[in-house]
Amino acid sequence: MKNQLFVFVCFLFSIVTVAQTTVTGTVIDSQTGTPIPGANIASSNSSSGTATDFDGKFKFTTEQNPPFKLEASSIGFENKIIKITKNNQTISFSLQEGTLLDEVVVSASRTPERIFESPVTIERMGVIEIQNTASADFYGGLENLKGVDINTNSLTFKSINTRGFATFANTRFMQLVDGMDNSAPALNFPLGNLLGMIETDVNSVELLPGASSALYGANAFNGILFMTSKNPFDSPGVTGYLKTGMTSQKASGDNIYTDIGVRLAHKFNNKWAAKVNIGYLKGTDWTANNKTGKVGTGATRADIDYDGINVYGDEVSINIKDVAETLINLGRLPEGGDALVPSVSVSRTGYDEAVLTDYTAESIKADWGVYYRPNEDDLEISYVGKYGSGSTIYQGANRYAIDNFWLTQHKFEIKNDHFFFRAYTTEDNAGDSYDMVFTGININRAAKADNVWFGEYVAGYVGGTLNGLLPEDAHKAGRAAADGASDNGSARFEPGTVAFDNAFNESITNPDLSKGSKFQDNSKIYHSDANYNFGDKISFAQIQVGGSFRRYSLNSFGTIYTDEDGPINYQEVGFYTQLQKNFLKEDRLKLTASVRYDKSELFDGFFSPRASLGYTMGENKNHNIRVSAQTGFRNPTTQDLYIGLDVGRAALVGGAKGNPEKYIDTYDLSATGAAVLRSEAIDNGDGTYSYAKNATGAYENSFTASSVQVFAGSKNPGDLKIANSEYAKPEQVTSVEVGYRGKLNRVVLDLSIYHNSYKNFLSNETVISTFYGDVNLTEATIAPTPDAIIAISEGDYQVYQTYTNTDADVKSYGASIGLTTKVFGGYDFSTNYTYSKLDFDQKENPDFQTNFNTPEHKVKTTFGHTNVIKNVGFNMAWRWSESYLWEASFGNGQVPSFHVVDAQVNYQLPKIHSIIKLGATNLLGNEYYTAFGTGYIGSQYYLAITILNF
Amino acid sequence: MKTTYIGFLILIITLISCDDTDDTIETGTKEPTIELITGTADFSSYVAVGASFTAGYTDGALFKAAQENSFPNILSQEFSKLGGNTLTQPMMNDNIGGLLFGGQENPGFLTRLFFNGTGPSRIDDTPTTEVFTPQSGTYSNMGVPGAKSTHIIYDGLGNSANLATGTANPYYVRMASAGNATVLGDAMAQNPTFFTLSEIGANDVLGYATTGGDGSNPITPSEGPLGQGFDSTFGYIVQILTSGGAKGAVTAVPSITSLPHFTTVPFNALEPENEDFGPQIPTLNATFSRLNAAFTFLGMEDRSIVFSETEDSAVVVHDQDLTNIAPQLKQVLMGGGLDEGTATIYANQFAQSRQANENDLFVLPSSSVIGTVNVEYYTDLINSMVPPDTAGQLAINGITYPLRDKWVLIPSEQDALTKATEAYNITIKAVAATNNLAVVDLNAILQEASTTGIEFDDYNMTTDLVFGGLVSLDGIHLTARGYAFMANKFLEAIDDKYESNFIASKNKAKASDYGTNYSPALR
Repeated sequence: MKNQLFVFVCFLFSIVTVAQTTVTGTVIDSQTGTPIPGANIASSNSSSGTATDFDGKFKFTTEQNPPFKLEASSIGFENKIIKITKNNQTISFSLQEGTLLDEVVVSASRTPERIFESPVTIERMGVIEIQNTASADFYGGLENLKGVDINTNSLTFKSINTRGFATFANTRFMQLVDGMDNSAPALNFPLGNLLGMIETDVNSVELLPGASSALYGANAFNGILFMTSKNPFDSPGVTGYLKTGMTSQKASGDNIYTDIGVRLAHKFNNKWAAKVNIGYLKGTDWTANNKTGKVGTGATRADIDYDGINVYGDEVSINIKDVAETLINLGRLPEGGDALVPSVSVSRTGYDEAVLTDYTAESIKADWGVYYRPNEDDLEISYVGKYGSGSTIYQGANRYAIDNFWLTQHKFEIKNDHFFFRAYTTEDNAGDSYDMVFTGININRAAKADNVWFGEYVAGYVGGTLNGLLPEDAHKAGRAAADGASDNGSARFEPGTVAFDNAFNESITNPDLSKGSKFQDNSKIYHSDANYNFGDKISFAQIQVGGSFRRYSLNSFGTIYTDEDGPINYQEVGFYTQLQKNFLKEDRLKLTASVRYDKSELFDGFFSPRASLGYTMGENKNHNIRVSAQTGFRNPTTQDLYIGLDVGRAALVGGAKGNPEKYIDTYDLSATGAAVLRSEAIDNGDGTYSYAKNATGAYENSFTASSVQVFAGSKNPGDLKIANSEYAKPEQVTSVEVGYRGKLNRVVLDLSIYHNSYKNFLSNETVISTFYGDVNLTEATIAPTPDAIIAISEGDYQVYQTYTNTDADVKSYGASIGLTTKVFGGYDFSTNYTYSKLDFDQKENPDFQTNFNTPEHKVKTTFGHTNVIKNVGFNMAWRWSESYLWEASFGNGQVPSFHVVDAQVNYQLPKIHSIIKLGATNLLGNEYYTAFGTGYIGSQYYLAITILNF
Repeated sequence: MKTTYIGFLILIITLISCDDTDDTIETGTKEPTIELITGTADFSSYVAVGASFTAGYTDGALFKAAQENSFPNILSQEFSKLGGNTLTQPMMNDNIGGLLFGGQENPGFLTRLFFNGTGPSRIDDTPTTEVFTPQSGTYSNMGVPGAKSTHIIYDGLGNSANLATGTANPYYVRMASAGNATVLGDAMAQNPTFFTLSEIGANDVLGYATTGGDGSNPITPSEGPLGQGFDSTFGYIVQILTSGGAKGAVTAVPSITSLPHFTTVPFNALEPENEDFGPQIPTLNATFSRLNAAFTFLGMEDRSIVFSETEDSAVVVHDQDLTNIAPQLKQVLMGGGLDEGTATIYANQFAQSRQANENDLFVLPSSSVIGTVNVEYYTDLINSMVPPDTAGQLAINGITYPLRDKWVLIPSEQDALTKATEAYNITIKAVAATNNLAVVDLNAILQEASTTGIEFDDYNMTTDLVFGGLVSLDGIHLTARGYAFMANKFLEAIDDKYESNFIASKNKAKASDYGTNYSPALR
């Protein structure tokens, strides 16, 4: 495996060597006295280095002349530096076990500081934790951090969140990879690690739960994840990993998966370095075959209005009594014939998700970068490109098969120790992705139009009834007739037939949702950031200033957004400053204050401040208390603003002013409606009518859906409530947090309590807008009944999902406590507990969904040892979550309580700098899910070899 | 040493994992179930006394499947939850319907109707239920199709010898405990603790109505001695039924003219689109113009007969309430130049005729009579030396030959029915009140059904023939779903009167368990 080029490079270096100094020695554990194999030995001011052998011994040779400093480092120990004064010196490094408190974090204040002194709660995952995680990959390993929720969309698409209020479309959580927001422009949220990093390139992962808009702007609302890669100047070389294993799930069986990644980094000289990473994963996704009916639709297909969770096409449902009345009006059913037809809703026969996707889980990642240090110092200019592509499943309003989707980013950056400027673009392309729900619906429609299907159903039902069938069998007769071939349509296309395949292919290649299901998008984001840290230049405090600019260019060709006429563009700009100052003796009190001003083209600008105090106590400065108050804000996402999409149950219409006008659709209209609307109605010539209408009614003339439901039962117009959703504006959060971090004997304790209070919480409202008549019930064309009431009773209305802010009080609070220690002499043990509570009056706000989606209690524990017997380590992780309600546009349902055990055993091969890891996730095999509607998460077994240096 | 700890930890984890989580999805909250309570009635010996509804008669016949869906049988399923008896019914021999009299079919007791795709039609098969094969055993369902109030206490109703005179009822002949038994006596032999006395009074008016009030089947007088008048007879029946302390429920008599049997055939049944009728309209109007001129001359323009070429025209009917103007008419017609023979025939034929209006009701079978040649009258005309062509033109029922009384309920006949029904209901309600019985107001129910329709679970049932869902293909009796609804109405009345809670506790019939039609294949 050795790369010939590198041999050659090393050879070059060795021939130019003139003078040499050799140092020999050992590295031992200061506590036990045992040798530490694989410890790194490096000269602190050159790139040369070596590692200890099996017995902790090393021999270091350099061209440098003494004196110079030699540093020993090993995972889990504090670094130690010894000064070399002469050639052939023999030294001994005695390393002390490190504590987590000494780890350095950057993101909490945009400046390096000990995690111990961070002004806000922060979680970190370093190289050691990544190597030891029992999860199948480092991204999955984040799940073991306290306060972190991972919602599993699919095998390759995991969605991270903290502190609640998240669906898979987690637009309140931000993810920065080397400073770049890697959310997809069309979706407004990151697709997990699909455009992330390969494992061996990860330097550190930091996670800030809670709002941090004051430093990071819009969207850093619920939390923010920072992934930092290894710089090729600091970490040159070839590293990589190969994982292979099996995913095992009841629904899909056992499937092989492979995950491979290679990192090639090379420092050409002190001025130039370059890096290339390539990752590839292929496997089979978790099959979603939950055939349970959605609430109120019955349990199985034997129920007439069944709408299976992972069965698509059966979302199309209608009250057959209304169908019977229409048939009577058309003269296709005798007058009075509707008396035999019950007033019940019937759904079309759907298709299982499994026949609408092959569940290929594929991920291709590549990134490349060139780094230039003109002065061989901290000033670095770089270009980085990233590409991510793959196939996965995304569950939003519907479930989407994301196929050959790609996302690219290009970044230009200049930085030094106290300054950076970066500019980047993100572009996505939906590739061959499609909406599986609409695929099911449109395969059905390809066989037979909905009105024909339901008409034949009713005819079959009535015929069956007159022929002596009881209702249950009459329904079967109706369905059999409708699903069968007739003069007006084909029989239902059975999966596996050519007709089905043709209809399927037609659907997934057609972006018109009335016939197809192709998801089409090519949106872009342009973003730039700059930051300047005055550092030591100003003595009274450490001050930073910075700003950002972002431009959106939405381009879905009219399929998602109301951008039929061309891309929608708009921009946002923001500036911030932060001041940090230490007070009191030994600088024990640290004040951090920051403020940020943001202005979107669409909204008024405003300030979001943050202030925090940290106080360090104890003789050894072992205890730190922090208090912070901050505000966060979030602009409505591109979808919140500009969507215009009929998802079947409702038409989604974004809340930007002017957007509803652009969303025009043609709807079926009753004969009565045609009489009211007169010339505005479209006579289809076959006794039916249509009406073309834009969606302004959703925001300006609508009732709440729940009140229309009440009205349907009571017939009392007084029960109707006017909705008239407000146009969307930014939401805000005010967060107060108190925390403690400290060391008590050998136990490291970290606890925090927070309270979040939301203002103008952005959410959806389901409203009903009638095609005619005003919501104040003043218009009465056919007196005396108001037009709007007639429209409701005639079904002349459209259900809209609006994007709006609620004035309802939404609050949440929670706490987490984590402790880390060593037990049984050398075993790492850590455990944490997170409490999350929503404070919201649902009864007062029946139309409002918070999507809190977070268990009240969760507990996580890890237990392991890096070297339990020579070169063998292991790690186990156990997680438990209480049952919780999942609310999202795809559907609501209870997520049952679950607990999961992951485990890995590893064998280190110090001589070839490699680790072999054998592991399994969900070892107990109790399949579970973290969100309503997805596939069950099965077990994953893997064997991985990670080579840290070729 | 260290490995033992790993073992220990795995053990802990395994133990924790034993409490398997429940991964079913909650599908909404369950409604709290209310426990069924008995109230003050004792359902341990339930006996149903009545006529065709009680028997389960539907689609113009009685047959096994229909008996299973009789309302007393549906009721007894609910009563059984409170220790009620199993209802015993005199089961028919088949699902064909109809009766055999000594092996012979009888036009009065035909096979059941089914929907043939366009309308009701009789099952093409031979009945197998023999009237003269007495059924052994006793029955708690004492529903006797066709029984009037007075029949319930008549000791000759089960005597086969009386069949010839029409005073026996073949259904009762088949099930009577003895030749001289009475329906009431057989019911009392079951020692009822609870009874339903249903549709008493209905047949007392129905026979009159279905015969168009032609006098062949008179209305039972509302007042009169026992065995003759409704009041004393009904009072007696209740007195006997309650003599052992039994509680029960009775029904008020519905206004039967709201039934599809009387509402399906419209007064203006003559459609210009009809190929046999439409082309003849100008000729007919020309012919009738002379007659109409005579009516005008006599100041009786309202008797004029005119058919529209564009709209549906009213049927020509015989109205015995009109003054017989045969002599005057003859004179006028002759004065107009008609020969005496023709004038006589015309004068007699149209002496008491007029075109029908919305106040007239037509019985269901009239639909197959209107527009056809009246053979009897045609024969008469031929015998009167009228040429066959002319006789044929003059003998068309409802067009040239006024439709006979038995097919039409004119307003005075409807009044008679209404008066009798109202009088019966006064008696029924008074007797029920005196004896503390529950009352099911079938009259109100039928009113609702015939106007707005009645809601039964997900269905809105109307009195439309075939498609209404409430009334079976014969236009009078209920469908199984209709009987289920009726049973629920009994339960509602019983709850009200006897403090039980069948309805509140959802121990009642569900619409979706009952059909509206029986399969033609069922035999």
